[in-house]
Amino acid sequence: MVEKVKIVMDEDRCYLCGGCAGMCPTLAINVGPKWEFFLDRCISCKICVTACPVGALKAVPLEGES
Amino acid sequence: MRYDVAVVGAGIAGPIIARNLARAGYDVLMIDKKAEIGSPKRCGEGINIGIFEKYDIPYDRRFINREIYGAKLYSPSGYELELRYKEVSGVIIERKVFDKMLAFYAARAGADVWPRTEATGLIRKGGRIAGIRAKHEGEPVEIEADIIVAADGVESMVARWAGINTYAPPHEFDSAYEYEMLIEGYDPDLIHLWFGNEVAPRGYVWVFPKDEDRANVGIGINSDNPQTAKYYLDKWLRENGIPARKLLEINVGAVPVGGFVKELVKDNVLVVGDAARQVNPMHGGGMAEAMEAATIASRWMIKALEEEDMSLLKNYTREWWEKDGKRLEKVLKVRRVTEKLTDEDLDLFIQILSGADAEKIAGGNYGEVIKALLKHPKVLLSPRRIKLLKELL
Ligand SMILES: Cc1cc2nc3c(=O)[nH]c(=O)nc-3n(C[C@H](O)[C@H](O)[C@H](O)COP(=O)(O)OP(=O)(O)OC[C@H]3O[C@@H](n4cnc5c(N)ncnc54)[C@H](O)[C@@H]3O)c2cc1C
Ligand code: SF4
Ligand code: SF4
Repeated sequence: MVEKVKIVMDEDRCYLCGGCAGMCPTLAINVGPKWEFFLDRCISCKICVTACPVGALKAVPLEGES
Repeated sequence: MRYDVAVVGAGIAGPIIARNLARAGYDVLMIDKKAEIGSPKRCGEGINIGIFEKYDIPYDRRFINREIYGAKLYSPSGYELELRYKEVSGVIIERKVFDKMLAFYAARAGADVWPRTEATGLIRKGGRIAGIRAKHEGEPVEIEADIIVAADGVESMVARWAGINTYAPPHEFDSAYEYEMLIEGYDPDLIHLWFGNEVAPRGYVWVFPKDEDRANVGIGINSDNPQTAKYYLDKWLRENGIPARKLLEINVGAVPVGGFVKELVKDNVLVVGDAARQVNPMHGGGMAEAMEAATIASRWMIKALEEEDMSLLKNYTREWWEKDGKRLEKVLKVRRVTEKLTDEDLDLFIQILSGADAEKIAGGNYGEVIKALLKHPKVLLSPRRIKLLKELL
């Protein structure tokens, strides 16, 4: 089982380049004038976390949920 | 409001389509979420000299930073291969100005252009896609159109909303990081590329000169690499004693390097450029590819509108795959082979090629390059190397 996570973005690092949104398999990230995350669509694959060219994303475990 | 064509994205592909369709007399609207078209850039700004004539783009000094006469390649231990031409082979442009001028040409041809307008969804009516929903300075806008173009870059949502599968695994993308900075000591008439598994896993470090002492200095690495692109670029600068103190811009982005979208059309929606993953998988350049796809797409859009038959749009998929798709699939094969090269292979190959018939190699004679490599004893004695090179033939 994949550990359920939510993705958290560090505003001071993010360049709004859209790379994470483009690689997310489930459209769980949208990058417009701001960075948006949709937890209900996220499948916790962490592709976005690894892909970000500057390491602006972090996966935070969702505690108490299964 | 109603248009014949709505284009989402004013990068490279979008404005070419908007211009071509407006020239043919159709009502076109092009939107971009950016407030200033072209800015910030996600680009090294290198492009082949041939595109200006080929895609009917004026050679306007306002967006030409520097003319380039070739390339210099560096292996991990410092072997060098120089490919220098007598004529200008490429240019380093200014994307901020270039993209804006492309949008200007589209507008001058008759297209409407709105920045700061983000597509947020599709309008569906009676089972068909009737237009796009967007947001301009927070205000919702509904744009009805007969044809919708997803030229919305690597982060493309429009195509996916329409049901076009643009997913590619993370290994089929590069993560890129770049400084536009002052740098000295590199021949400003050439672009410079450094290879090596410690230098830039799967990719390369580039110096693309915009002036004698100013360049885009960047890196692309495989997106599924545990380290960031920034980490590798900063490490390279440090290890080469290049001070990174006079920085003019920091540019970040992802580059599709494979995963070309199979079906480029769904009903009346077309996908082009980075959104369709139409990028050269070897060097990550996608501007010329976006122009080519936009040109093919434009032709079929005009035909479909002329004949009022949207099923003609499908021909864009067919023609793109016959022309550029086939070529890029071959390049992808090369990328997959070069990914397996060790640092010793890279050293050896660049060393051999720098001693080989430079003219043939500079002429881009790919077969000759492989032949030159296959002749060398250190290659002949290694079944693994022979196998790799044979995969390339
Ligand atoms: C660091 C880096 C270096 C590169 N170097 C080179 C190089 O040297 N040479 C080269 O040829 N290529 C290079 N590339 C690739 C090149 O930049 C792209 O292939 C090219 O820009 C693709 O053009 P496009 O029109 O498809 O997309 P883009 O130029 O990305 O344009 C897409 C546009 O769509 C807009 N958009 C996205 N979503 C929406 C929405 N929902 N609503 C409204 N607007 C939207 C964006 O704001 C953007 O302006 C590089 C890429 C990177 C990241
Ligand atoms: S990839 Fe990184 S820098 Fe780019 S938008 Fe996503 S979080 Fe921001
Ligand atoms: S973890 Fe996977 S599904 Fe969730 S936002 Fe990141 S890429 Fe998308």
